[in-house]
Amino acid sequence: MIPVSDSAFERQLQDLLGRCAAGDQAALQRLYELASPLLFACLTRILRRKALAEEALQDVFVSIWQRAGQFQVSRGRPMAWMVSIARYRAIDLLRHERLAPVPVPDLPERSDPEAVSASEEDWVPAPGLLERCLGLLTEQQRHCLRLAFVGGSSHEDIARLTGNPLGTVKSWIRRGLQSLRQCLESVST
Amino acid sequence: MRPENPEVVDRLAAEYVLGTLRGRARRRFERWRATSPLVEERAAFWEDRLLGLAKGTKALTPPPHVWEGVRQRLGFVERAPRRGNLRVLALAASIAVVAILGGLLYWNTFGPQQLTQVASISAPSGTRVWTVQVFRKTARLTVRAGELPVTPAGRDYELWALPTGGAPVSLGVLPRSGSAQRTLTEVQQRALASAPQVAVSIEPTGGSPTGQPTGAIVFVAPLRSVT
Repeated sequence: MIPVSDSAFERQLQDLLGRCAAGDQAALQRLYELASPLLFACLTRILRRKALAEEALQDVFVSIWQRAGQFQVSRGRPMAWMVSIARYRAIDLLRHERLAPVPVPDLPERSDPEAVSASEEDWVPAPGLLERCLGLLTEQQRHCLRLAFVGGSSHEDIARLTGNPLGTVKSWIRRGLQSLRQCLESVST
Repeated sequence: MRPENPEVVDRLAAEYVLGTLRGRARRRFERWRATSPLVEERAAFWEDRLLGLAKGTKALTPPPHVWEGVRQRLGFVERAPRRGNLRVLALAASIAVVAILGGLLYWNTFGPQQLTQVASISAPSGTRVWTVQVFRKTARLTVRAGELPVTPAGRDYELWALPTGGAPVSLGVLPRSGSAQRTLTEVQQRALASAPQVAVSIEPTGGSPTGQPTGAIVFVAPLRSVT
């Protein structure tokens, strides 16, 4: 069971997606205003080139408009759905562009509660759950997961960036995800 | 289709969402996800839970032209006028803009090139595959190819109008690159006028021999009225 967030922000996004599915152009514009800064940030982190990230952001909103009717509240939060569309698009573009992997230097290893902006609380409405579970992982596992998710790095990229053997990186990630699942599912059921 | 071992599904779903499942394995997983509710459920689980990994990402406002591009690609607008930045020019520009808009409005309403319907056919990843435009007045159809998936050997992609309550009507074989224009028959025009969607199927070279789709339907996209 995926808990449905009841934050006002998520409800607003949900409502806008429903209106997009019905062909309401003003709803897409509002959705763009609310979601594009985060989606653009995610795309820029992965693609590293502004022009490419701008092109990808257009692809993402065309996709959101066309697929709005497929979004299901029971499957997760609207922002998670949109961030996924953006990240997958960026990963597909990486394949074509063959961009060199770059470390993610400004990413805090541990979350700093003071640094959380008000707007971020809007789209990460369940602080603590993933954080708590991440806390159970080893330092290396956590670092690899963040490099992959935020920077769009592949196993090979992470091995190069961290100077560890490929097999080691793969097993850190696999075990990290396994532990995360056990932790996340024990909390949500 | 491979057996759905829950452990395997979950491991692949997690790596897919994380982004470390790459290349052909990634494409395979996407197809699997589209057909299996279990695979879809696990992928959605990870998408929702891993969102928190993006914590710390600072919001970045995209430049205004990006939104204009989205509107144009979806056929929301024709083309936005540019604003001049000198006061004196602004007045002249506004007059010119009014004249141009008036002209455009006249052209769009009464001109022969009136765009009536548009469909943007995209892959699940958002990649534009084809853009279809229908000009009712001149009974023209134009198709522009974007980034196409690999066509299976000896096969073509064929475009279909899906009229409400009727059988699909062929709109011809799709170009693999560049753009193509064709004149619509009366049957095609009638089908398009009542079609909420278009579809693309894989057919033998030259198009379906039966007049109906014979191969897999690989894309379905809404057909939107522009007027």
